[in-house]
Order: sequence, then C-alpha cells, then structure tokens
Amino acid sequence: MDSVIKATVVFFVLWAIIRVSGRRTLGEMTAFDFVLFMIIGGSTQRAITGQDYSLMNALLLVATFVTLDVALSILELKSPFFRRVLNAMPMILVENGYPMTERMQRARITPDNILASARRLHGLERIDQIKFAILEATGEITIVPAVQAGTVEPMPARAPNA
Amino acid sequence: MDEFASRHYPVQENMRFQKRSWIVERLGWLVLLAIAVVGLSGVFGNGPASWAHVSDRTFAVSYERFQRATRTSSFVFDLGPGGAGERTLHLSAPFQRDFEFTSIQPPPSRSKTDRDGIDLTFAAPPGAAGRVVIWAHARSYGLSRIIASLDGGPAAAFWVFAYP
Repeated sequence: MDSVIKATVVFFVLWAIIRVSGRRTLGEMTAFDFVLFMIIGGSTQRAITGQDYSLMNALLLVATFVTLDVALSILELKSPFFRRVLNAMPMILVENGYPMTERMQRARITPDNILASARRLHGLERIDQIKFAILEATGEITIVPAVQAGTVEPMPARAPNA
Repeated sequence: MDEFASRHYPVQENMRFQKRSWIVERLGWLVLLAIAVVGLSGVFGNGPASWAHVSDRTFAVSYERFQRATRTSSFVFDLGPGGAGERTLHLSAPFQRDFEFTSIQPPPSRSKTDRDGIDLTFAAPPGAAGRVVIWAHARSYGLSRIIASLDGGPAAAFWVFAYP
C-alpha cells in the first residue's frame, strides 16, 4: 500500500517542481541541468524504494507511475483547461523582428537563446531576420524566418493534392 | 505594442493564463526556497531546531526531536553518578516499537523486554557517572512519545517526530 502512496506523492511533487521550474528547464537543458535531473532521479528513487528491492515493489511502482501518466494524458485530451495546466501554452517572443522583452524576461529567455535557435534552425544572424520566435509548450524555441530577398528562400508551394 | 495582449497567429495564445502561470511559478520558487531555508534550520531533522535535550535528576538525554524514517540518529544518555556496579536504563514500549536499534555503545551486559518496554543493563563502576549512546532509526513515520528512566528512578518523557 505505502509503495503506491509514495509513488503517487513523488509523481505529483516532481511534476509540480518541474512545472514551477519553468519551461526553460526542459527545452534549453544544459549539461548541468542534465546532471541535476540525474541527481533528482537518484534521490527520489531511493526515497520510493527504501530498502525494498523486491520485484513486486518495482511492479507496483511502475504500474502506479504509468497509470498516473496515462490518466493525466487522458485528462489532457478531454479538457483544454488541464491541457493548459499540464503542458503550458505556446507564446510568441519575437513578432515581426521585434523582441518582446517583457515576455522574454518573465519566461527567463535571453535574446542570445533566440539567436542561437535562429542560427541553428535557419542560419539567421539577427533578430530582425525573424518573423516569429515562439516559445513552445515543450520549452523549445521555434523560429519562423522573415522572408527577405537574398537571405531566406521561401518554401516551395505544395501541390494541392500532395 | 501591448506585449501582454493575446495573439492568435501563428499560435493561439492565452496571456491571461500565462500571467497566472508566471505568478504560480514564482510562488512555487518561494515554496522551494522556504523548504530549503526551513531545512537548514533543522525542522526536517538534523539541525538546531531538531536538537533537543531533556534532563532529569539522575540522567539527561540528547537526541533529535525531528527525524526521518530509516535515517539513523543518536540518543545520548548521560547517566549521573550512582548505582552499585550496574545501571539499568528503561525505555518505554514506543521506543522499542517505533525504532530499530543500530548499535548501543557500550553494549549492555543484559537486556530484558516486556510490555512496558526494554531494560538495558550496563556494567559500571559503583557510584560513577557514565554515558550510553543508542544509535537507532525510525521504522516508520509519525509521533513517538517515549519515557525513559534510570535505575527505576523518576521518568523523563520526550517525543520524536519521524518524517516519511
């Protein structure tokens, strides 16, 4: 019984901590963030298992975690409110070349983060070459380049039946 | 340009919800900070707020009032002078029920258990003071009310709270 309760408590506490730590943690994970997540995993694993290394305990824990995960995904699917709460919402950070600094500050995203994504994804060099930079719910930054002659090739039009 | 107005293209935004999320996020940071600061104080075990000392005319005990299940900590019993070659420390039944002994220093020459608890008898020079250290960990979480006495003398009561 206590394994299921412990797993449930740890699941929701970890979810809450990861959620309040913000999307930056997930999308822009540095090597240190990765190490930190490993430590968090190790610490909680020992708290859940304690000294019970039995197969039945492992089965109980895995079953509880997967059940909760599936339950949340169903909840997310059924309710737009829970979708927002569980996954956050995408947010525009650069609009038509203008960085939205207030939003960036609140989301703890720097212009350098955006430029890094712009370089990596589209080979862009300046913020004004970006039409939209969007902080996705996953924490990643996606870039829609501004179409400028000689800098970015427009996407070829897709055939209607393609 | 109103940064906090919701845009509908190229993605559907909900800045009202987003602003609330930021507030909850900041509150969450405060809670995490509070947990760390309170943890430093020892309220979650092993710190100034946890260290406790109870003394009676014949003995004193130093221990941690906040403990964590399965984490070993010490109960230090300072025994006042007395006894005729041996000292008997009595610990009430909740101690035996809620704690698992890891080690007792010095080892008792004999021990006896009954419904009232456990009696640990130690060899000691007549009339000398002594110290007994019991290393033990809480088996589970919750509050334990413990009564200890030395050589059948007056009892001292203390409590220990174990976190899960």
